[in-house]
Amino acid sequence: MLALSPATRDGCDGGSEFLDTTCGFSINPEDDEFPEFADHGDLLDIIDFDDLFGVAGDMLPDLEIDPEILAGDFSDHMNASSTVTTASDKTDSQGETNKGVSEKGHEEVVSKRDDTATESVTYDGDGERDRKRKYPSSASSKNNEGKRKVKVDWTPELHRRFVEAVEQLGVDKAVPSRILELMGVHCLTRHNVASHLQKYRSHRKHLLAREAEAANWTRKRHIYGVETGGNINGRNKNGWLAPAPTIGFPPPPPVAVAPPPVHHHHFRPLHVWGHPTVDQSVMPHVWPKHLPPPSNAMHNPPFWVSDSPYWHPIHNGTTPYLPTVATRFRAPPVAGIPQALPPHHTVYKPDNGFGGARPPVDLHPSKESVDAAIGDVLARPWLPLPLGLKPPAVDGVMSELHRHGVSEVPPTASCA
Amino acid sequence: MGDHNSSQASYIHLVHHLIEECIVFNMGKEECMDALFKHANIKPIITSTVWKELEKENKEFFEAYERRREEIPTEKETARRIRDLLSRTTI
Repeated sequence: MLALSPATRDGCDGGSEFLDTTCGFSINPEDDEFPEFADHGDLLDIIDFDDLFGVAGDMLPDLEIDPEILAGDFSDHMNASSTVTTASDKTDSQGETNKGVSEKGHEEVVSKRDDTATESVTYDGDGERDRKRKYPSSASSKNNEGKRKVKVDWTPELHRRFVEAVEQLGVDKAVPSRILELMGVHCLTRHNVASHLQKYRSHRKHLLAREAEAANWTRKRHIYGVETGGNINGRNKNGWLAPAPTIGFPPPPPVAVAPPPVHHHHFRPLHVWGHPTVDQSVMPHVWPKHLPPPSNAMHNPPFWVSDSPYWHPIHNGTTPYLPTVATRFRAPPVAGIPQALPPHHTVYKPDNGFGGARPPVDLHPSKESVDAAIGDVLARPWLPLPLGLKPPAVDGVMSELHRHGVSEVPPTASCA
Repeated sequence: MGDHNSSQASYIHLVHHLIEECIVFNMGKEECMDALFKHANIKPIITSTVWKELEKENKEFFEAYERRREEIPTEKETARRIRDLLSRTTI
């Protein structure tokens, strides 16, 4: 029989395994051991002994049974790591006492206290150290309060609300307590929100850096027209684009040589943070007003929102750049960009008329490709902007130009 | 007047668009001014002004972009090394 056979041991060693020590208890309410509780510090101060021992006497006959109960509850309490819940039930102090207790190395396990007093108090022979007091644990609900840290599961829904709240407050100004209020969720502590916020902010910084990188690839794709659909899904597990594909292959793109990095090319540098398995791209969509006709539908929820509302589009004023997107959509986008935007993991949906080209990143674009790109824009100015940067203020530009002596745009004199 | 303004606005928009294309090619401001002048006949001063204004409006992007561009030489070096390695490898 294993650890828990009741009542077999004499001289159980209190210091050893919890389970082992469920033996040999004796209750001596009047015991002078009691005062020793005080030795154990705060933990014991918190405990209301009256409650305990008032009833204890009645329990004596039940000792035989208790070990079994104890056994059954051990795992529970082990997890609880000896929390003492008292009426006052202070989370923090319990957390500390938890630590204190476990660090002591005894298993002084004081399990949840049951007010209804079906308690059994067990003492070790020594009484000096491990005292196991076990109260039938009624309080698994108290477990949560007792523990200092509850693991928070940031579900998509929860995260979405978080992002909404943050967006509302403004990313830089968002304060955990306000976020909590806005979210209206009860099971979160300010601490949970604070750490989540920290992660969110650092993730955003990453995103911005990636955006810049991604700008490089869009063009390639288009130009080279190589369809490497398989690579789209070649992203990292966690959705992060593998960093810096830039292996500077000299043009012409030796696509053959380019190994996995190819998948960088695509576009979606963004991924949804927080859900590793979900490869959502979050593009701060912003397809702004450039597109003719400027469509209102555009700018708010990013199209893919329905699919992956993870990172709420950073559409409240941060630079929206759509790195890859729509270059060269044949169909004038309109609200169309959305199609280009790969809603989710597959960054590029091959069906959007884009060749899904993924040439290796070219650190030195050839003259021809640059020329072609420029020519394209000149010929078809309605095409969507590849990056979707916030446009400059016309007035600002004009006044600046005037200062430099340029009076007209487009300049009438031939530029030479 | 209205017309004048809108033609200015659309010209600026054009330059903006062209600049974005250049960024897609990883170009810097000077390269861009050069390219736009050569291929689209746009005065470098105009390109540079629009570029600067874009920078103001999209600070974070440009910061990240510059950082990214700084890494290019190291990346090239890395690429070179990889190529060497590959060429020496026989399977």
